[in-house]
Amino acid sequence: MVTVRLNVNGVAHEGRCEPRKLLADFIREDLGLTGTHVGCEHGICGACTIMFNGEAARSCIMLAVQADGAELMTVEGLMRDGKLHPLQEAFREHHALQCGFCTPGMLITALDLLRTNPSPNDREIREGISAVLCRCTGYQGIVNAVRAAAPILVAGR
Amino acid sequence: MKPPKFEYHAPKSLEEALEALGRYGGDAKVLAGGQSLMPLLNFRLARPTALVDLNRIGSLAYIREHNGQIRFGAMTRQRTIEFSPVVAQRLPLLKEATHWVGHLPIRTRGTIGGSIAHADPSAEYPAVLAALEGEVVARGARGERVIRAGDLFQTYLTTSLAPDEILTEVRLPVMPAGAGYALEEFARRHGDFAIIGIAAVVVREGPRCTMARLATAGAGPVPVRLRAAEQILEREGLGEAAIEAAARRATELVTPDADIHASADYRRHLTGVLTKRALTRAIGVARG
Amino acid sequence: MTEHRAGATAPTALPRLVGARVARREDGRFLTGQGSYVDDHRPARLLYAAFLRSPHAHARVVSIAASAALTLPGVAAVLTGEDVARSAKPVRAASKTPAVKVTSFPPLALGKVRHVGEAVVMVAAESRYVAEDAVERILVEYEPIPVVTDMEQALRPESPLLHDEAGTNLLVSREFGRGDVDEALAGAALVVRERFRFHRHTPVCMENRGCLAEYATGSGTLTLRSSAQCPGLVRDVLSDLLDMPEHRIRVIAADVGGGFGAKASLYPEEIATCVMARRLGRPVKWIGDRREDLLATTHAWDEIVEAELGVDRDGAIVGLRAQVTADVGAYSIYPWTAAIEPVQTISFLPGPYRVPTYRGRTRGVATCKAPLGPYRGVGRPPAVFVIEGLMDRAARQLGMDPTEIRLRNFVRDEEFPYKSPSGIVWDRASFTASLLRACEALDYAAVRAEQSRARAEGRWLGVGVASYVELTGIGSAIPVSPGMPIATGTEAATIRFDPAGKVTAVFGIASHGQGLETTLAQIVADEVGVPIDDVRVIHGDTEVSPYGTGTYASRSLVLAGGAAILAGRAVREKMLVIAGHLLEADPADVVMTDGRWAVRGMLDRSVAVREIARAAYTGARRLPTGLEPGLEATRFYDPYYGTASNATHVAVVEVDRETCEVKPLRYVVVEDCGRMVNPLIVDGQVHGGVAQGLGAALLEEVVYDDQGQLLSGTLMDYVVPSACEVPWMEVHHLETPSPVALGGFRGMGEGGTIGAPAAIANAVADALVPLGIEIAELPVTPDRLFRLIERARARG
Repeated sequence: MVTVRLNVNGVAHEGRCEPRKLLADFIREDLGLTGTHVGCEHGICGACTIMFNGEAARSCIMLAVQADGAELMTVEGLMRDGKLHPLQEAFREHHALQCGFCTPGMLITALDLLRTNPSPNDREIREGISAVLCRCTGYQGIVNAVRAAAPILVAGR
Repeated sequence: MKPPKFEYHAPKSLEEALEALGRYGGDAKVLAGGQSLMPLLNFRLARPTALVDLNRIGSLAYIREHNGQIRFGAMTRQRTIEFSPVVAQRLPLLKEATHWVGHLPIRTRGTIGGSIAHADPSAEYPAVLAALEGEVVARGARGERVIRAGDLFQTYLTTSLAPDEILTEVRLPVMPAGAGYALEEFARRHGDFAIIGIAAVVVREGPRCTMARLATAGAGPVPVRLRAAEQILEREGLGEAAIEAAARRATELVTPDADIHASADYRRHLTGVLTKRALTRAIGVARG
Repeated sequence: MTEHRAGATAPTALPRLVGARVARREDGRFLTGQGSYVDDHRPARLLYAAFLRSPHAHARVVSIAASAALTLPGVAAVLTGEDVARSAKPVRAASKTPAVKVTSFPPLALGKVRHVGEAVVMVAAESRYVAEDAVERILVEYEPIPVVTDMEQALRPESPLLHDEAGTNLLVSREFGRGDVDEALAGAALVVRERFRFHRHTPVCMENRGCLAEYATGSGTLTLRSSAQCPGLVRDVLSDLLDMPEHRIRVIAADVGGGFGAKASLYPEEIATCVMARRLGRPVKWIGDRREDLLATTHAWDEIVEAELGVDRDGAIVGLRAQVTADVGAYSIYPWTAAIEPVQTISFLPGPYRVPTYRGRTRGVATCKAPLGPYRGVGRPPAVFVIEGLMDRAARQLGMDPTEIRLRNFVRDEEFPYKSPSGIVWDRASFTASLLRACEALDYAAVRAEQSRARAEGRWLGVGVASYVELTGIGSAIPVSPGMPIATGTEAATIRFDPAGKVTAVFGIASHGQGLETTLAQIVADEVGVPIDDVRVIHGDTEVSPYGTGTYASRSLVLAGGAAILAGRAVREKMLVIAGHLLEADPADVVMTDGRWAVRGMLDRSVAVREIARAAYTGARRLPTGLEPGLEATRFYDPYYGTASNATHVAVVEVDRETCEVKPLRYVVVEDCGRMVNPLIVDGQVHGGVAQGLGAALLEEVVYDDQGQLLSGTLMDYVVPSACEVPWMEVHHLETPSPVALGGFRGMGEGGTIGAPAAIANAVADALVPLGIEIAELPVTPDRLFRLIERARARG
């Protein structure tokens, strides 16, 4: 067993687990943060994407022990002061989600995209969100939402 | 899909890592970015007794210019390479290739050393290493050795690294100023491994081509240097006929395998198509 | 648009919600990571399950040795097929028709395995990690039997037999017909024929299947949380299989991460998990991983269709003859049976056209592959691919434009209701209008002109049209799958005011991404005259809902929406009576204004909704004499035959001359789902459906080798489209209210996937007219297209 100390969404946590425990399972089971979803466990679908030290990464192909000392943000950490993040607002307004399963990974991935490329064109948005598979929306609502959120995030800096 | 049990080591130094690796006599696996190894563990297709995780060895992540080479610590993240000004300036082919490696969240963790040591012949970095005639540094109990690209890749997912060796550094020669370059890739879905990828570099002097480099991804068990096709260009220049001839020659130089995504014939055909496209684009950006 | 409300006048002063682009009410929890999917639940003393699955496609199970697994610390129990057989009846998807052979589908293999990935042994342990370790320690001795993976070979007498009890691999055999098609085709000016191949696909919900069973030994109640589309249906069948009364079984399908039909069937893992939980008296959870999903969730389509279409000199259809063969895999799934896919294909093959003579024969053949089940469109994606492909072939040979031949053959507006040759009734549809509107939206003439220019430059640009009609909201007159003995023709709604004037509306359907919490709230709010924020919709929980089966077959908005209207009316009528009593006015004179109920012409005499609600629960003192207290109603709705939706899709694609890649450039949909409740959601359903149809046409394929090993067992190998492969979609709406369904609603969840494969295939064929290439096989991958093009070039 190993000890994992880390900060998630601004809160310090500590847990003990086997070294083989996947970070996604640790977040969900040991920390009880079930917003991060597990869809494929081989790094393709992107549902488990979280912010790892400020950069989007797949938590299903990382070990929990590797996150010892790290700072994570999960979908639960997007809201501020009880208000939805502008990206969350845009997802709602533009119907960028249906079953909601890919949504946590999609939000984190889109946020990472907008941090590295604050004003993406549609092609760049599609390339950015192609890191996460969505089976419901045909991606159109998501593209619309990311495009709409981009200037709001820029203005909010 | 959960990994089997393993012993876990997260050494802070390369020496400790080598020591840990040596202890298992080939039954341990080195964990770099984990973007390929972790899926294999989750599928239980890899079952090492132990993992030696290099992610705590800070000294293995760097980008340095030295003696006409750019040297990358093995644990340099693909994401770092993507946004590195040095890479953009000195190794624009590597920057372009990086954009084709999976997706940004994959590149956050994926490393240059891991990608090359994993030796997936469909991956982009091995093709770039081959095209640029780079080399890697391996450290083992018996010391350090330098392995040239051509001697590194043995077959699918297999390199000439010994089980107790760790790939510590990747060295790529700085591309000549004004060199034209391109990486053309065809995949069925954005971000997937290449069905075929072609890395191309050309150096021109007027109508002459003083250097041409072509290497494949996805065209066989290892990245293939298309030397005979390069020679056509170096001999005949960069005119349309020479490009056509080089592309045709390229299709004869590969022996691709079939899988559920593409037949060998189609891969061979694509090798020609993408060689032509890569050369055309490379020549378009070449100066001199 | 026609007003379809009957009965008392609807309150009008609140904004009308039906028809509005209302943002979804479920999004708040999904956007913040607070959904309630099965895997989010971890009751105390939980055990995690894993299954040992067959590595063989066809083998006898000789012995199972599990002792090494049981001694592993953390392992609670191991269950084999024989253990399950002692506690549960085998699943048999019964059928009333002799055309369907009934076979058993044991939850864990009994005696033999029939496909790779079939569940053989179940383990319950303290964690999924340990459960998987235990699975590896179980030794199963198999004796391989010859494998059959080719559906046509499986029909030969010498072929290995999957089910001895059936005596044949031909599990389904059915024929539909009208008129003398042989004579009609013999006399036709032109007959086009083709052997079409629509390969095997799989739905790939982003949430893998999973379930969590808890058995309370004290009360003898079983609670199953399942990623199911049909909690009611699962409850009903579990009652039978486990021999427990229905009122002691609660099935909850709270948030479900996509279904698309894949989660509409009963699965072996659900039964085994219940058996394990009942045996151990501890909660047991199984969450399938992606490998299990690709191996053992039902697959789809997988048909060979040999079809001939006869037309006269003017392109008018004289007859259609078809033989469908479907590879239904190893088992007949409950409750739909192996017939659902192959029979649906011949039912819908005639499309939106006047087909005077027709004969469709269909065969469902067992092979050593995962079972075939319903997936978005069921039978119709192949059917539309076939009929629309034939229409284009006929048009090309006659030198007609593909739009012209369609307009010539559509069932005309004055012919509705129209009975199709397979006996389905189209109530009223906009076949002609949808095609004309699509051409207008696309600027068809301009695109054709661009195509001519492109061709002159040697580029391969193509335009593909597909028109279709689908039966939706099926009522009790028609079984969803032929011969199916269970009734699925009704749904119910309970609408209940609390004393504070807020509304709870409970339904037996189970939303798994469709936004039914929003659309049903829109309907309810309009019916009872409250703001939408005052309505809470509960679904997917058999304990709290009135009887219902679930969400499938594009039925929920029609059936549950209709039930909501009926229950809402009943509540509203009572509200009028109470309001009249409180206002000392005749209920007939009570009107709704500004959220209050007032006396007509005397708007200062009014009561608020909450006062009516409070009065309803206060008792006799505040109610008219004899009026029962309370303010709620449950109503059932049966649309009897059901209704239909239709659409025209137009795709513009370019085929890369060198890589043979198909690039969709434009995609136009004109759909008609009757009266729209929420256009935002309708658009989303179309977008998602088209993306799946496009994936089916270009990227996705389940591949087995000839020994029945699955080669597409990862998401790298089964290629679901990403945002980069899906084009921008232009969606337009026609609203022809259903004349037969309450509210005028028509179901529409599947349509996108029905039209897209045909539209893409036709566009690719159109692009390749210079080479004379027809597209008869989907997906049309770059590799397939490369070979077609090479062959065409070799021909010269």
